Amino acid sequence: MSSAALSRWSGNEMQRRVSKRYAAERRFKLLGLLAVGLSVAFLAFLLVTMLARGLGGLSATFLSGSDSTDPALAGVWGALKGSFLTILVTIALAFPIGVLSAVYLEEFARRNRWTDLIEVSINNLAAVPSIIFGLLGLAVFLNVLHLPRSAPLVGGLTLALMTMPVIVIAGRNAIKSVPPSIRDAALGVGASKMQVVFHHVLPLALPGILTGTIIGMARALGETAPLLMIGMRAFIAAPPQGITDPATVLPVQIFLWSDEVSRGFVEKTSAAIIVLLVFMLLMNGIAIYLRNRFERRW
Amino acid sequence: MSLTLALAAVLAIAAAAAYLGRNKAAGLRGGGARLNSLPSYHGGYVFLWAALPPLLLLAIWLPIHNALVEQAVSASPAGQQLPDFAMVREAILTEAREIATGQREAGFNPESAKLAPVYRSTMAHYAWIGGGLAILLALAGAAWALTRVRASFRARSGVERWVMGALVGASLIAILTTLGIVLSLLFESLRFFSMVPPAEFLFGTQWSPQMALRADQAGSSGAFGSLPLFWGTVFIGAIIAMVVAIPLGLMSAIFLTQYAPAKLRSVLKPALEILAGIPTVVYGYFAALTVAPAVRDIGINLGVGSASSESALAAGLVMGIMIIPLVSSMADDSIAAVPQSMRDGSLALGATRSETIKKVVLPAALPGVVGGVLLAVSRAIGETMIVVMAAGLAANLTLNPFESVTTVTTQIVQLLTGDQEFDSPKTLAAFALGLVLFVITLILNLIALRVVRKYREAYE
Repeated sequence: MSSAALSRWSGNEMQRRVSKRYAAERRFKLLGLLAVGLSVAFLAFLLVTMLARGLGGLSATFLSGSDSTDPALAGVWGALKGSFLTILVTIALAFPIGVLSAVYLEEFARRNRWTDLIEVSINNLAAVPSIIFGLLGLAVFLNVLHLPRSAPLVGGLTLALMTMPVIVIAGRNAIKSVPPSIRDAALGVGASKMQVVFHHVLPLALPGILTGTIIGMARALGETAPLLMIGMRAFIAAPPQGITDPATVLPVQIFLWSDEVSRGFVEKTSAAIIVLLVFMLLMNGIAIYLRNRFERRW
Repeated sequence: MSLTLALAAVLAIAAAAAYLGRNKAAGLRGGGARLNSLPSYHGGYVFLWAALPPLLLLAIWLPIHNALVEQAVSASPAGQQLPDFAMVREAILTEAREIATGQREAGFNPESAKLAPVYRSTMAHYAWIGGGLAILLALAGAAWALTRVRASFRARSGVERWVMGALVGASLIAILTTLGIVLSLLFESLRFFSMVPPAEFLFGTQWSPQMALRADQAGSSGAFGSLPLFWGTVFIGAIIAMVVAIPLGLMSAIFLTQYAPAKLRSVLKPALEILAGIPTVVYGYFAALTVAPAVRDIGINLGVGSASSESALAAGLVMGIMIIPLVSSMADDSIAAVPQSMRDGSLALGATRSETIKKVVLPAALPGVVGGVLLAVSRAIGETMIVVMAAGLAANLTLNPFESVTTVTTQIVQLLTGDQEFDSPKTLAAFALGLVLFVITLILNLIALRVVRKYREAYE
């Protein structure tokens, strides 16, 4: 083919080339749509399967009962209460510690070897596999400190160490996005550095911090592996009364029931998954609402 | 007096002292003095000095208290009659403690009822010492801080010093956690390696950690060659899952950033975020219940006789889908960071959009994408629940995706659940596996973060 033929737009040669390239363009776009569509279809398939299998298992006895060897009597209330107590311990520890260290790193820390070390630790902890935190909990909280096995206290401590880095990273981003003019104005009228942070910067950064915290808590709520390590997998027929009672949590309950061969438990497992997913969606929904309602663009 | 009571007393003293301090400062101001700090800061200063030292003392005292009580009870005449066998002894002591604190009515062992009053009296004895010390400290702190309330006193700086201490302390917890992970894994692993040589652990191909019941039984020593586990982990997490996640995640990111109209994007993006938020135990259940049987049937139809219902393929597929949102969002970030001018230049030369993406945008975004993929691999090999529920327990060195393989995380869960004896190589092996897993993910994360950061700097 000659170069003269190629530079003539109306020529057959050129038309064929152009249509070939346009076809490739359409194929590429379709491939992209297919990729997203496949992921979303999988999500839909998963949700529909769980709903179809589990909706029949949702009943008043299921929501108010505890674990039982008889599938007809088994319920999620005990596991739900265990989850609730565990998350309570987690939030009570991870939120203040996470916010305080975010404030320190973003507002006060001078750049030196120590703060670099803290930063590297936090970034790494955020990516450490969750099961490693379970090993830490087993070795330190159970074998060294002799805290009670299977208790929400130990589960909450372990999950707090796991979610703390998430809160620190979200908190630092939220604090960073508060414009320096706010700080300058407060400093200008004579506030101390501490007053600037706690009276002005922190309240403005709070929606962002809360969004990150809720997402971290949702992750902690769905976490299973570290809690298996510290023994929260025992058969527990009575709901826990306090944070030192033996307990199990909802995801672990799902895992335990999924191992049961009895046919009735297949329905129970799916029903428990529906309950768990409802809680996850609720928490993520609150986080998205907070982000849209309160987050300011400066 | 119990330690809880002492705690309440300390807080009450501190609150009362804070009230006095605040009033004293307010009085000074009423008398015409010009205060350096607001009265509430004076109150806060007094409160911190009255409350924090005794609280710290109580926190340190508590573990010492329990040890002292245990020792004193064992040394008492009733305690010396206890059987020597450690397990029975522990059980009786625990029961006695529970009876003494009113957590239970009566124990299974008759000795515990006899021991309970001894327990109660020694506990009260030591609680008096610890609680009394704490209250004295609270009173002393309150009195000292109250004498410092003067017009010229900089109470605010004093309060802020305490707050600064809290900030530093909170950020040190991250370092302590890292240190705790490294030390606990190292310590237990060293004990394991004193029983099993490291070379055998790292390069051996036989994995059967079952400990025999009798010492003379065949195969009583167990085999701890972890190579098949690491192969299984890499096979599922880094090969099968990535074959699914990289093309789908990358194409999703390209479609969402380059092609999708804003309205469609505002629906699809949250859907992907939901996919990322689903607990892994749900994925695991789905993999075991729905995907695994389908994969086995396909395998049998394809003529693979050894197709297992706990195949590597089922676990890897589901794990790949779990990773899609992560790959997609990392690719999204790095594509968005490619300067618009490069894209415009390519389009102005007459390239179509797909040609621009393939020849200009992707090569420019490649380091960011590679960093994202490394993070995804580290996430996948540390993932536990999907493989525990859908992959098998058989340690096979196989390339056949329809066969069953096992992974590091599956074996950690397997080794540490159920009856455990803490000194056996079986449980210690879990910590050695954890150590190797920790080191691998750490290295992957460090490389990934460095690659991503370097790439971002190149365009800023």
